[in-house]
Amino acid sequence: MRKHWLLRLLAVLFTFTLIASACGDDDTSDADPVDEPSDDPADDPEDVVDLAQDDGGDTIQAIIDRGHLECGVNGQLLGFSNVEDDGTYTGLDVDYCRAVAAALLDDPDAVEYTDLTAETRFTALQSGDIDVLIRNGTWTSSRDGVLGLQWAATTFYDGAGMLVNSDSGFGSVADMDGTIICVQTGTTTEINLEIYFDNLGISYEPLNVADEAAVTANFSSGACDGYVTDKSGLASFKATYDGDVTILDDTMSKEPLGPATREGDEDFFDVVQWTVFATFNAEEFGITSANVADHVGSDNGAIAKFLDDQESGLAFPTADWAVRIISAVGNYQEIYDRNIGPLGIPEGVNQLYTQGGILYGPPVN
Amino acid sequence: MAPDGQAAPPGIAGGGELGTAIAAEPPPRRGAGQGIGTIFRDNLFKDAKNSILTLIFGGVILFVLFKTFNYVFITARWEVIYNGPLEFYMVGKDFGRTGISFEMLWAGIYTAVLAMGIGSGLGYDPEAPPMRRGARMAMIGGPLVGIVFILSMTRTITPTLVTLGVAVAMVVGNRIGRRLPQPIRRRSGWILLAMTALAFGLITDFTPSNIDDFGGLLLTIVVAFAGIALSFPIGVIMALARRSTFPLIRPLAVGYIELVRGVPLISLLFMGQFAIGFLFPPDANIPGPIFRAIIMITLFSGAYVAEVVRGGLQSVPAGQIEAGKALGLSPFTITRQIVLPQALRNSIPALIGQFISLLKDVSLLVIIGLQEMLGVVDVVLARREFVNQGYVPEAYAFVGTIYWTLCFSMSRAAQRLETRLGVGTR
Amino acid sequence: MTIVEQEIHTPTKPPLYRDVRVLRWLFQFAVVGVVGYALYRLYDNAITNLEDSGLPTGFDFLDNQARFAIPGLEDSADYSVRKAYWSGYLNTLRVIVIGIPLCTALGVIIGIMRLSDNLLVRAVGTIYVELFRNIPVLLWIFITYLVIILLNLPQITDDVTPLDRFVISNRGIGIPWFNPDANLLTFVGFIGIGLIAVVGVNVWRRKVNEQTGQPSRGGLYGFIAFLIALAIAHFAAGNALSYEPSVIAENGRQIEGGMNIFPPYVGLTIALSLYTASHVAEIVRGSIQAIHKGQGEAAQAVALSTFQRYRFIILPQAFRIMIPPLASQYLNITKNSSLAVAISYVEITSIFQRVSNNATPALQALIILMFCYLTFSLGISLIANFFNRRLSLETR
Repeated sequence: MRKHWLLRLLAVLFTFTLIASACGDDDTSDADPVDEPSDDPADDPEDVVDLAQDDGGDTIQAIIDRGHLECGVNGQLLGFSNVEDDGTYTGLDVDYCRAVAAALLDDPDAVEYTDLTAETRFTALQSGDIDVLIRNGTWTSSRDGVLGLQWAATTFYDGAGMLVNSDSGFGSVADMDGTIICVQTGTTTEINLEIYFDNLGISYEPLNVADEAAVTANFSSGACDGYVTDKSGLASFKATYDGDVTILDDTMSKEPLGPATREGDEDFFDVVQWTVFATFNAEEFGITSANVADHVGSDNGAIAKFLDDQESGLAFPTADWAVRIISAVGNYQEIYDRNIGPLGIPEGVNQLYTQGGILYGPPVN
Repeated sequence: MAPDGQAAPPGIAGGGELGTAIAAEPPPRRGAGQGIGTIFRDNLFKDAKNSILTLIFGGVILFVLFKTFNYVFITARWEVIYNGPLEFYMVGKDFGRTGISFEMLWAGIYTAVLAMGIGSGLGYDPEAPPMRRGARMAMIGGPLVGIVFILSMTRTITPTLVTLGVAVAMVVGNRIGRRLPQPIRRRSGWILLAMTALAFGLITDFTPSNIDDFGGLLLTIVVAFAGIALSFPIGVIMALARRSTFPLIRPLAVGYIELVRGVPLISLLFMGQFAIGFLFPPDANIPGPIFRAIIMITLFSGAYVAEVVRGGLQSVPAGQIEAGKALGLSPFTITRQIVLPQALRNSIPALIGQFISLLKDVSLLVIIGLQEMLGVVDVVLARREFVNQGYVPEAYAFVGTIYWTLCFSMSRAAQRLETRLGVGTR
Repeated sequence: MTIVEQEIHTPTKPPLYRDVRVLRWLFQFAVVGVVGYALYRLYDNAITNLEDSGLPTGFDFLDNQARFAIPGLEDSADYSVRKAYWSGYLNTLRVIVIGIPLCTALGVIIGIMRLSDNLLVRAVGTIYVELFRNIPVLLWIFITYLVIILLNLPQITDDVTPLDRFVISNRGIGIPWFNPDANLLTFVGFIGIGLIAVVGVNVWRRKVNEQTGQPSRGGLYGFIAFLIALAIAHFAAGNALSYEPSVIAENGRQIEGGMNIFPPYVGLTIALSLYTASHVAEIVRGSIQAIHKGQGEAAQAVALSTFQRYRFIILPQAFRIMIPPLASQYLNITKNSSLAVAISYVEITSIFQRVSNNATPALQALIILMFCYLTFSLGISLIANFFNRRLSLETR
């Protein structure tokens, strides 16, 4: 009888260990392709540099193996990423997800979107839930430096703006002394707002809201005088808002929005970066999704090289990556017109450098 | 978040609100030969003070009823529900990605309901006092109103039919449970466990990772269920450890239980979302957000289940243990064969209570950005046709009705079970 | 795993590896060892990971500047993170201090209503309880704040200012309030005079009660005495106490003067109180039913009114049974106050959320948050235990 007891004690002990290990140890029994180290580097001649990388180094292979891209988006922001009636996603951010998927998998629809809040977005990327984060996230030094992320490019130059009721009589932010301002919690805007009002030497009272639905509830019921967020977000808000509102001219901060990837995977970083540049270059060359096929093998050497990139050694699986991208989503202007155009946001600096903007794609050479 | 009292230590709170609820002193019953008038007089107009109260509260009730009817039938713009994707509320936005067919899902649900029915049938005690008519009406009528309201938002007949099917499965299961022959009855625990596992398998298409794409009501129920099921072993072990005579282990159990019960669930969920990555080596496989939430909810619920089970353990008379000792059984056998079965049986109603509060607590997932029912509201309200147009009250009313229907019917069922099991009366 | 004391009397001493006492200790050391090792591993990983990602491993970030503004606090953007946490802690405390009495009062009323012999009163009580406790508290918070407060309170432009001293709007509820900054000492002194009056009156009433048997009504008399003493002191010192009326600011956007109660605070506190009251009501009802019926009948027999019956006979006895479950509900209301993150009230969980987004290590920020809640929980448990012990000592 007592021998049994010993056995049972051991069994219980074992259970304890199991529980402890289940919640407290580095159990790697479930193989996840994202973090699996590549064991055969010879497959990838261009990847020699990557051998030294410790973790997260094989995002591209993981994406190809799994057959789709995991893309983190907002999901509730018209113009950038929004869910349509049939459950499909549209928007500028979404188009860049599609472009990356097209470049890697030749199928712009091979994307799985994950809706992320301002709170969860960075953790999702750090923990490998998603491959790339294209959720109107602002590129800042502390995010680049501390959070273990790196921003690949800027797809939209934005700035925080102020939205007020048209009949409120506010002409600029300087008029708004002693007002209540709605601002989303956990954003760079929250801090920029403080700095801007402080510099103007006027006071305000913040009303922190969790998401845009809460903004509507607060703003429409008159609980706050103004709503501060990126101007693109304001335009999207204005386009759908059931009332007469104005976006003030003040630009309260610099908010370069673009895709971010995990630190430590330079190949995938390059892929995302050059996918963005490809849309800039295509616009500069006058290549659109409609005429891209005609340009293949063009007499223009630069265009030919762009569409059939044999030498650059970027980690794209094929040399016609630019063709894949352009035929899937078009050039930057097309993407912009399709998604941001209907919101009526002035283009501002979001134009090619040739047209007075600051979009500039490095040459494919 | 809240254990809603059910999980509090024994004594009055062992069965918590449930324990006290059925003990409700029945109002003066209508004897034979008493007419409606007598009831009116006795209950409403006994004396002057009573009559004044009746008038005041009658006015309040009429006013609230009028307002409710006015809202539900006239002012509310329900198109946000019936023109919107009702499917989102039920299974979430990304359910299509899983490739699970609705037939499969319904098969799983039917299996689960059948198991529930059998379980309720097993607890049937022909000698238990019958339910009062009022209680029975409330138990059936309340949820019925809720279900009719929810179904009225559907456009086709299919949901109504399959919902009727659920009721049929419940009743059939109940009858089967009552008639199970003794030998099978003894193994019923395993059968129910197997059926539940099968149901879970069917619902997730035998790939648990599909849960990552669940949303809406389905996610709410799956997370709550996984939470309670996974936390059960933790709870039992912790309860035994807390009542054990091991001076080194008891503080561990007490520490775990009190630590978890001392902090809000949302802080644990934050831990799962933001901080868990720091606690593991960089090359560890951190599961997806929903799984992380399930792990944290399990840890959370484990502490409360431990307290429920501890209450059950305390309800086992000391004589039982002494009798076991007198027979020369080993302490393990006494615990396993004598104490635990009785203790767990007594904890069932409180465990259902814990499940209900877990079901409500799953709503917190919206704060960490997951799309359970409240999260789906945000998704639907961000759609082009509804965005920024003030559809918030309607959406919340609809979701609230779903929660209410589920929680109310389950808490009533738990009360009923408590009477039948005779918890607190033995 | 055992719950029974080992008492085995064997004539010969068993070998060490079969000696139950030895095995018991071995087992315990093993378990403690495993748990300890697991915790150590987690700690070690945390330190390594934090260092690898260049995040601080200590709590030095508490001295950094918070950089975000906290509603209702001037210059709060210059606060250190530590001070921001402290402000959040106080804001949570504000919810608890008002929420607990509110939910208790409401819960007691509803609980008694459910035992009424009037059918309609009973029905209202039942509907209340079933409605509130079967819907998640988070949903109630949303409904109270987003629907009831924001949509149904007047807007500030509607200029609802009763008596020109109150302001009612969905930007805040302003009520006139003493101006403690201007004459804090006078204010405290006057309160002291009032309290002395209350004590004096209570002593007198108790004597009257003992000598003549008249009800003492100490609370009522004390309150009146307090007001009278305050009024006398106020006029004797030449209108020394000034108060600020609450008015709408010149630009018509904010509330100035007096005390401004934020709508999110109102929404959160009311929603928590309403929800918790449904649980308290069930506890109250159960406790009252647990009191022997004869007690109530005896009270009726000596012609006590319904109010007196509850106040002097039933509730004091029921209260003794109520304490442990009530304490657990108070703990719940405290923990549920963390749901303020979903609306716009900046309490301690919101502070955590905002701090952790500022390139601060989420892990440490979270540990501080949990620690704060543990202090609340511990405080409530201590108070409950104190009452529990005191009340159970007095009887039996």
